Amino acid sequence: MSRLIKVLLFSVFFSLCFLQVVLATESLFYKEMNLIGGYSSRDHWIDKGNMMNSSLGFEYYGKFSNDYGDFLTADLQMRVAYDSTKNSHDAWGVEIHNAWLEYRLMQPVKLRLGHFDVPFGLEPVVDTHATLLQTLAENNIGFKQDWGTEFRGSLPLFDYELALQLGSGMSVRRKDGSFLASARIGTPTGRNLQGGLSLLYGEVLDTEGMSTFPKNELSSDKAVTKKRVGLDGEYLFGSYLFKGEVAYGKNDSNRVLGYLAEIDYTLPKYQNCQLELQFQSWINDLSRKSSDDSTLTAGVSYRLSQNKTLRAAFSHELNNSGQKEEDKFLVQFYYFGL
Amino acid sequence: MKNIIFVIFLVLCIFSSPAFAAVGCTLNDPDRDVKRLFPESTGYRTDFISIKEIGGGALFQKIEQELNDKLDTVYETIDVPYSFYDVLKGKDVIGHIHGVNQKGKYGGMQLILATDLKGKILDFYYQKMSSPEASKFMDKNFTKQFIGLTLEDFLKGNLKMSDPSKANHEDFLATLRGLKKNLILLKELKLNSESQTKKEVIK
Repeated sequence: MSRLIKVLLFSVFFSLCFLQVVLATESLFYKEMNLIGGYSSRDHWIDKGNMMNSSLGFEYYGKFSNDYGDFLTADLQMRVAYDSTKNSHDAWGVEIHNAWLEYRLMQPVKLRLGHFDVPFGLEPVVDTHATLLQTLAENNIGFKQDWGTEFRGSLPLFDYELALQLGSGMSVRRKDGSFLASARIGTPTGRNLQGGLSLLYGEVLDTEGMSTFPKNELSSDKAVTKKRVGLDGEYLFGSYLFKGEVAYGKNDSNRVLGYLAEIDYTLPKYQNCQLELQFQSWINDLSRKSSDDSTLTAGVSYRLSQNKTLRAAFSHELNNSGQKEEDKFLVQFYYFGL
Repeated sequence: MKNIIFVIFLVLCIFSSPAFAAVGCTLNDPDRDVKRLFPESTGYRTDFISIKEIGGGALFQKIEQELNDKLDTVYETIDVPYSFYDVLKGKDVIGHIHGVNQKGKYGGMQLILATDLKGKILDFYYQKMSSPEASKFMDKNFTKQFIGLTLEDFLKGNLKMSDPSKANHEDFLATLRGLKKNLILLKELKLNSESQTKKEVIK
């Protein structure tokens, strides 16, 4: 399988080189650095967030066009990440986040191939790839992005996405018949009030870690049957941005429920600074008491320049179904640009 | 060992390649927005252009002079690549769409202009508006008053519209600044370089 991945990656790389040379193209190349560290009441000094390690990477974004306009968009975002909790041999890993090609079939229909957001809930409409505060995606699906294909587009009254993916998340693998089918319809982005309805069904693999190479670890060889329905919304009012989502369904035979509420506030006088407050809860089995993972997080984000942002967040676990509750303080320096 | 060599190689690759700062305002959904603004269009072509790339520091200063204001050191830097959309009917360009970010009283706003080939405004809308009175600014009765205006009107102060808000005059002024900046950038980064290219082709 690793040979297959290498072949796939080289194919994508040479395809992009070919397209870049042969066709008129507009592209952007961003460099990215993410340094993260903090203190946890459980693990003491830490250098990683839930879904984030310190890393160095890049993002390539390209538009390919001919005489009749743009017809193809490409995005490749990779990070080399370091996880100090592992031994030196396993500490380094390559994370592939965005890795997709999108072909414009006709005005309301685009076909996307590669590694991209699972179209469910808030995650595909908010950009969390570099933020300390995350959506429900990790608890709900197990990952934010997956490998596969998708039809997406926009009609006058709503946007739609319809995806079929491997159900494996960061790494390319199939086991125990794994797959993930998901769909989201939502109001057009750009409105001050927007919302979406999502559905999901799949045999999803349970993995640990964010690494694509080497492959992240499988927690179990058995896929989990997941069924979900979800609602999400955002409302911008003055300096306040309200976000919320709720997801309900089943993991095998267990009924599950998750919800999230967040308020972001931009300081009018110092607009480089944003304050964030989030509560999220994931109930792993509605028939069992205290089976929820519930966290309250307060964060602050300060933009130092066009390219550099400082973030800090304090999170307090109100309940953790698997182990002792944890308080955590994280600081992040993030660079994206020159 | 292989991993370390790979990482060093990757880091060298990253830091030896050209880069841009974070991109300026882009359309949320170009397919829908272009069709809505130009129903007769059949496609569009995206162009990323920065001030640095076209004219460097001299052009940056010229833009500040035309704007009659300093550009923001965080959000309006010289290396921000702006997204310009050439609207196509068949192979012919029939108009342009360009958006800018503008700091408002309560947060950021995104101002999108559709123009003809000479830079006359055909349509204007807020893609994002952080204000308790956002609905008044976003109302068609206000935005349609900008249709037909050109950069000359902004430079000469030939603007007759009044503030639609009750208590947010700063956002009205920010809108005027953002639209003027949009038209200046369109002229300096897009229209001037297009006419330059045409002249070179004729020669």
